[in-house]
Amino acid sequence: MSNINYNIESPKEKQNRHKAMEAIKLLNTLREDFKTPIKSMEYFYDLFERVHCKHESLHDGKTKIGTMCIQIPSEIIYALDGVPVRLCNGFYTDDEIGSDLMPQKACPLIKATVGHFASGNFTDKPDIVFSPTTCDQKTKAGTTIESFGYKLIDVDFPRTKESEASREYWRRSVKQFAVELSKFQGKKLNRTDLRNAIKKIGYAQSLYHKLSEFRKKEIIPILGLDVFLVTNAFFFDKIDNWIEATEKLISELEIRAKEKITVAGKASPRIIYTGSPPIFPNYKIPQIIEESDGIIVADETCSSNRMFNDMVAVDEWNIYDMMDSISDKYLKACTCPIFTKNEDRIRRVVQLVKEYKADGVIYQAFAGCTVYEMEQRSVLEAMEKEGIPILYLESDYSPSQGGQLSTRVEAFIESLKTRRRKKK
Amino acid sequence: MNLIRFRFWFQIVAFVLIVYGGYASLDLGDKLPTFACVFNSEGTGGKCYIGMLQHDLKNPFEIFTGFAGYAFLISLIMFMVWFWVLNKSWCGFVCPLGTMQDWLTALREKLKIRFSEYSWASRSNIKSIKYILLILLLIIPVMISNSIFGLPKLPNGLSMPFCDICPGRMLIPAFTGNFNQFYIDFSSKTDLVMTTLGMIIVGLFLVGSFIKKRFFCYFCPMAALQYIFSKPALLKLYKDGTKCTKCGDCYRACDMDILEIADDITNKNLVTEDCILCLKCVAACPEDGCLEANFTGITIFESTKEGFILRMAMNKQKESHE
Repeated sequence: MSNINYNIESPKEKQNRHKAMEAIKLLNTLREDFKTPIKSMEYFYDLFERVHCKHESLHDGKTKIGTMCIQIPSEIIYALDGVPVRLCNGFYTDDEIGSDLMPQKACPLIKATVGHFASGNFTDKPDIVFSPTTCDQKTKAGTTIESFGYKLIDVDFPRTKESEASREYWRRSVKQFAVELSKFQGKKLNRTDLRNAIKKIGYAQSLYHKLSEFRKKEIIPILGLDVFLVTNAFFFDKIDNWIEATEKLISELEIRAKEKITVAGKASPRIIYTGSPPIFPNYKIPQIIEESDGIIVADETCSSNRMFNDMVAVDEWNIYDMMDSISDKYLKACTCPIFTKNEDRIRRVVQLVKEYKADGVIYQAFAGCTVYEMEQRSVLEAMEKEGIPILYLESDYSPSQGGQLSTRVEAFIESLKTRRRKKK
Repeated sequence: MNLIRFRFWFQIVAFVLIVYGGYASLDLGDKLPTFACVFNSEGTGGKCYIGMLQHDLKNPFEIFTGFAGYAFLISLIMFMVWFWVLNKSWCGFVCPLGTMQDWLTALREKLKIRFSEYSWASRSNIKSIKYILLILLLIIPVMISNSIFGLPKLPNGLSMPFCDICPGRMLIPAFTGNFNQFYIDFSSKTDLVMTTLGMIIVGLFLVGSFIKKRFFCYFCPMAALQYIFSKPALLKLYKDGTKCTKCGDCYRACDMDILEIADDITNKNLVTEDCILCLKCVAACPEDGCLEANFTGITIFESTKEGFILRMAMNKQKESHE
């Protein structure tokens, strides 16, 4: 017998190894495969590597408040000394674990999220989870997650936003959420803390808006992929670190803009990305777009633009009005497809096309994400009316689909180039 | 410039001119489209047209066929000209009653008491009240010297019916130390009823505007009269619906709870019947160029993302402690 120890890999180790592989593959692509890399992006590459490959925890000693959608107000979480951690998941490894627990045709984002909870393998394990009742699958996934032994509280979210009743309903839900969290934290919500939290998040959002300004220009100094990474980092990063890193990124972009350093090709078509959210490391479609000489200039997704676009607007800086402003922010301007009507979303996409002088729109829906799949028709019709070229794609988290998708994306991008040449 | 602060000081200056201007021999005439009160005889820097209008209308019909008819028309035109300069900003920036209500609102805010709101249904139901008041204040004086539909003529005590119940009659002179208007007149039945009503309304005005922003403006017949002539005015509130995300920030900032400001994405001119053109909505709008105040075709104040961030003090990271 030899004296070598044969270690059988535990499921947890296997999951970690697979996830690390997924993560590092994307990070290496981002680091090396594109021209003129940005130095200050290294913070974000490193952050994802630390969390997903080296399994470092970021929030030791803090109470981690898990959130399932963008509708759980981070302002209130910060004001009550918690750290919000958004648990929407983009790993294929977790998607596979979740597949055993969810219907076959469920959305990969939900499957991955449930899979992640099922494994219990977190670098920053949430102490409590708040789940807004947005789409059917997210809503129902709550009970499954609860059955694994997590403390999970549903936060009632309306599916219309025009009526007075829905506004009132959501305001009450947010108040209830604050009460529950306040009880959990053993801390009373006070005016100063809430105001500081609103201003801090508002400042972070203002940085996102600054970042977006660069993408409106003719010479684009940053990849859409990089911006997705920056906005994804906001899901879980320490907010002060995120702010500092983004400030640095902006100053570097200012220099690049002055020196006319671009990440795009000579005739790269400008793309607006909309639909199911790209969540690290599932950047499949954005990656195909930007590897096929397209450049994403803006997006309309809940992992990026929708999370940052609207800021809380307070009229009277007292708790009563701050709470109402926060509630309204998360309901009124939201363009989530779970709402009955989607005119606002269509108008937003059209406005983005104009503002960012885009050549076309790419609409991705996860197979199983019913609401985005259903909205596809009306969005396509509206874009046709506006004369905006649009490509609709269905994808999932599996790494195998690449060839077929890239053929379609490449063809679309070529057609945009031809269209642009003809215009000239 | 910070609009909120600008407006605060502008209102104070306007208040001083209108309530105390008379002591410095200021006289802006008696066709002002705002509550400059005739009962503040020494201090007032001008006079309210609603008072003038009621006064004119109590004459018999025959008079209006002659020179008095022209004079009446000229007054009306003078009123319109005054009004067209500022449009409804007379309410949001000049009106002393409006300013008093804003001060009460500021006091409530300091005391950290929540404001109350109407339900959307009641909000739209009360819209008609100001028109009813306007029609009454126009018809009652006419019925003093004329018999309409064979109805008996009304007593002379009703020659200025709206002034009897207007809170301005009591509150504006009070600012010059004159409390003589707080009385109940027992000399005749009409006077008894009208002055009692006036006292009740002044109480409602003070309590109402403490708990509801611009409480009185919802019922103001001056607003109704102004709105009839609002279309050709020089100052406008424009909205570019394509830029609107319907976030509702403007609606929440609106003291008059005007839903259209957030939900109407087709009309350009957003000066609606209850609008007081205070421009708080423009200051609250986070979208570049979505809302704007426009004077004779020139943009004088426009919503910008940057401005929004500044006004919300989100432009730098700074913790405040109280």
